[in-house]
Amino acid sequence: MAAIETEGLTRVFGRRRVVDAVSMCVPDHAVYGFLGRNGAGKTTTMKMLIGLLRPTSGVARVCGVDVGRHRMRAARRIGALLEAHGFHVHLTGRENLDLTRRLLGLPATEIDRVLEVVDMLRDGGRRVSDYSLGMRQRLGIARAMLGAPPVLMLDEPTNGLDPDGIADMRRFLRALPQRAGATVLLSSHLLGEIEQTASHVGIIHKGRLVVEGELARLKADLAPEIGLRVDDTDKARAVLRGRDLTLVEDAEGLVARLRPGDNHDVVSAALNRDLIQAGVSVFAIAPRARSLEGIYRAASATTSRRQETV
Amino acid sequence: MLAVLSVEVRKLNRSLALLLSAAAPTLIAVFAFAMVLRSEKPSEWSMWIGSATAIWAYFMLPMCVTALTALVAHMEHGPRSWDHLRALPVPRWTLYASKAVCVIGLVGIMSAAVLAMTVGAVVVGGFVKPEAAAVGRLDLPAHAWILAKMTAAAVLMTALQFWTAIRFASFVPGLVLGIGGTFFAVVATSAKQGVFMPWQMPVNILATEAWRAQTALMLGGGLGMVVLAAAVIHLARREVR
Repeated sequence: MAAIETEGLTRVFGRRRVVDAVSMCVPDHAVYGFLGRNGAGKTTTMKMLIGLLRPTSGVARVCGVDVGRHRMRAARRIGALLEAHGFHVHLTGRENLDLTRRLLGLPATEIDRVLEVVDMLRDGGRRVSDYSLGMRQRLGIARAMLGAPPVLMLDEPTNGLDPDGIADMRRFLRALPQRAGATVLLSSHLLGEIEQTASHVGIIHKGRLVVEGELARLKADLAPEIGLRVDDTDKARAVLRGRDLTLVEDAEGLVARLRPGDNHDVVSAALNRDLIQAGVSVFAIAPRARSLEGIYRAASATTSRRQETV
Repeated sequence: MLAVLSVEVRKLNRSLALLLSAAAPTLIAVFAFAMVLRSEKPSEWSMWIGSATAIWAYFMLPMCVTALTALVAHMEHGPRSWDHLRALPVPRWTLYASKAVCVIGLVGIMSAAVLAMTVGAVVVGGFVKPEAAAVGRLDLPAHAWILAKMTAAAVLMTALQFWTAIRFASFVPGLVLGIGGTFFAVVATSAKQGVFMPWQMPVNILATEAWRAQTALMLGGGLGMVVLAAAVIHLARREVR
């Protein structure tokens, strides 16, 4: 059974379709990176998953429980860190956790347990007004873990953190399924963050889920690329025009996008030979690592083309 | 519901709402103390307590309810904690009902504090200036009963202020409503129709005409409870984006 599952989840605000028929599947014990630009529909989708917004149509299930029909039952299975933390700054971290603990009817020992998981046992007695942003984020995750829910939903958990804080948070998130035994749904608009943290990924673009799957698998399916640095890019383009590949240019030079199944080494040697014979100086030629950025660009481009056609 | 209510009470710890609850009765007591020191001759206990009760009902109670509802609501609006609370496996109506109970409870405590602190201030004033010490019988149960009726008559006003403060994240609508209501209550005190105005209902408990006191109590308390229940249901059902 999937930890989170949606079928045709849609939400319309006025005449704007913010989430459009999203059918996603988050496997058990995965770290699922929910990726999309600001305003793509990530937060609205997440709010429907925790029952804060009612879907216009479609179904959302958490651990098999229909959120729309049994909000309370579904809410017991999910802990959420939302964009706004909602902490009472005049109270200590421990007191803030205690408020939620009481509402959930949990034993007092839960507070120490979750503070330990986020390495904040020593800071729990300080007022939240004295906390750094990173500490507030970790306290928010601790609060989401109260009662050990099987699903954790974290909305932009590295927002506003400094580089060290981001690195710490990424390490922490990667280890979360083992430490908390939970499935993690992590939303972000940062490619690097998802790439370094997630085992699975879902990309949402203008309200539609355009790509979903295991990250390693998606990367493997990506067309291989070769980066080229040459003295004359126009001439190189003309030379390589006849080959069965796509040429694009980015900040680092030319990129030859091969067909799936093409062998890097064989194609690299052939390209090098052609360019040299045509008098183009080749400074560097090397395979490009398959990245989430590549998946994202390909998905965005496909969606844009589809919309233009429509 | 009790767990949610205990959480609401805990949130008041070190909060501005609690500070306000202590400050308002203290101001009335300080005023009573100053009046005792200003007096040249002794006055009846009923005069001192009656004055304090009238000041409370006429002006301080409506203003305190305005400020209190705004502060209690802002405890959630400020840190934007509604999403967190509404996502919890707790019936949403209990979140709002416990807040409303908290506000009405604080108004009741403040009313009791007005009586207790005024008695204290007049006693201390009598020690400082014995020639102005209060005379006559101090009928505490009767005064307490009047203040209890005032608190009940204030429920309709409290319900309206509470709904506005929770419904709108900004302070402004609640303050405009409260200041506007208090303003008209003050400038139209003698108007016969005033008894039907929520902000004037508490002071009408002191009216010499029995029907006015009865109407204020029935409308303020009875209709107030209905409006409060409707407010809680509406707030729990609405979608907060």
